[in-house]
Amino acid sequence: MNTLPIGFEALAPFVDSWALEGSATRTRRRTNSTETERNAFFAAVQPQLAPALALLDTKPLAEHDPAERNLMNLCLSLAHIAQAVEAQGDHEAKHAPHREQMVITRTPADF
Amino acid sequence: MNAPAKGFERVPESDVAFLGTDPVPAKAYYDADWFELERKAIFMRSWIVVGHVCELPDSGSFIRREMEFAKASLLIVRGKDGAIRAFHNVCTHRGTQLVEEAEGKRSTFSCPYHMWTFGGDGALLSAPDFESFGLEKKDCALKQVSVEVCAGLIFINFDKNPTPLRDWLQGLAEKMEDLPVAKATTYSEYVYDIEANWKLTYDNFQENYHLRFIHPRSGAAAFGTDNPFGYPARYGFNGPHRTQTIWSNPEPKIQPLQGFAMSKAVEAGMKRNIMGGPHNREYFALFPNFFILGTPVQHFSHVVYPISATRSRGVIRIYWVGEDSSATERFAREYVMATVRDVHAEDRAVIAAGQRGLSSGALDHIHFQTQEALCRHLYNSVRDTVIAWQTEQELTA
Repeated sequence: MNTLPIGFEALAPFVDSWALEGSATRTRRRTNSTETERNAFFAAVQPQLAPALALLDTKPLAEHDPAERNLMNLCLSLAHIAQAVEAQGDHEAKHAPHREQMVITRTPADF
Repeated sequence: MNAPAKGFERVPESDVAFLGTDPVPAKAYYDADWFELERKAIFMRSWIVVGHVCELPDSGSFIRREMEFAKASLLIVRGKDGAIRAFHNVCTHRGTQLVEEAEGKRSTFSCPYHMWTFGGDGALLSAPDFESFGLEKKDCALKQVSVEVCAGLIFINFDKNPTPLRDWLQGLAEKMEDLPVAKATTYSEYVYDIEANWKLTYDNFQENYHLRFIHPRSGAAAFGTDNPFGYPARYGFNGPHRTQTIWSNPEPKIQPLQGFAMSKAVEAGMKRNIMGGPHNREYFALFPNFFILGTPVQHFSHVVYPISATRSRGVIRIYWVGEDSSATERFAREYVMATVRDVHAEDRAVIAAGQRGLSSGALDHIHFQTQEALCRHLYNSVRDTVIAWQTEQELTA
């Protein structure tokens, strides 16, 4: 069974670690990641973001199949990892414990 | 020849001179006796934001809110008639708390202890062996707390005869009702506890003096060569409430994915018809402890609830109009939430460090500069409200 839609197979190595349900889970993954992991994930997924969203937008969210849901969750993890890679840079390790104190209780993506 | 573009001009000192320039007593930010005065004079008599109507979509929908400053648990319910009411979450039999769930939907509320059962309007509907009490059911309704709604926001007030909310808002109600929050149907939320006074915490979010030092990376788009501190373009004052106009940086530093994500957030906002509103660069600060940023793509509110003189809880919500309609909108919302949260995470630590310094008693006074006018205005409003309350108490003694 395909873990990702056709055309996005190159991102398959990231599914287990990054295609995560729930905003709080995704931000925790960011906190628990290494710089090497973040950079590899960002480098792989960032160029695929626009085509991924274009594909996913062709269906209502509720009708996404498991492969499409995996792709959606990779995009959502990228929303968090982009903060680390593009903004925080070498401040990320110092930033992480403060961020963990801001406890996510609800987001629209959780429903 | 065209005139050169006018650069940023900071709000002049003369605009806020009426607030004074005196040092501010440091004790107001850590002293337990002063906090007790604030609690009685302000928090027990002011309109406090506790939620949003989108949390109560149906008849029987309810939310429970813990108000530590009042030692109260509140049950806020949409009744069969569609009206929103707030009650103490306390059974009128022997005081047991009725509801443990944070939210839900019920047609009745039964006390687990002896099964006294109340309707969504607070009326006592039934109680086992009630005849043995010698009471009338009409005298046993849940204890009500004043509740009103403005811009979709639910406000409560522990005062038994409060000033009507719209009067209390002193001209800001109509403006706030133009904000996306008035049409919001859902939200992202994150909360934090902090070892810091509520004013010290709140003040951090109403001055930009700290931006370039505390948010050199996450906040890089908010300041530039023309305005190195990212100061606001305007301050306004409506009684104890205040507003500011956020400066629009003509040349923000934007990273590639950041630019993509924010453009998608703007597109989503345009589809929702919430862009370009009259107050989309405005910041509304409602006395004592609420503010909301009018910016449609980062439309966040922040409530700082006091717990003690040196402990508070912050609740930050980003309000959204409509459920996620597409993958792109969902991505944009997740990105915006992650961005705003990153900024706020940086604030929390420095506020707590400020509290440790103040609580040491090393300082008699603290200082606010012209561009910290909103902090001074909050202190002045708190001081004046406490003094007025003390005078009232003396007159009625």
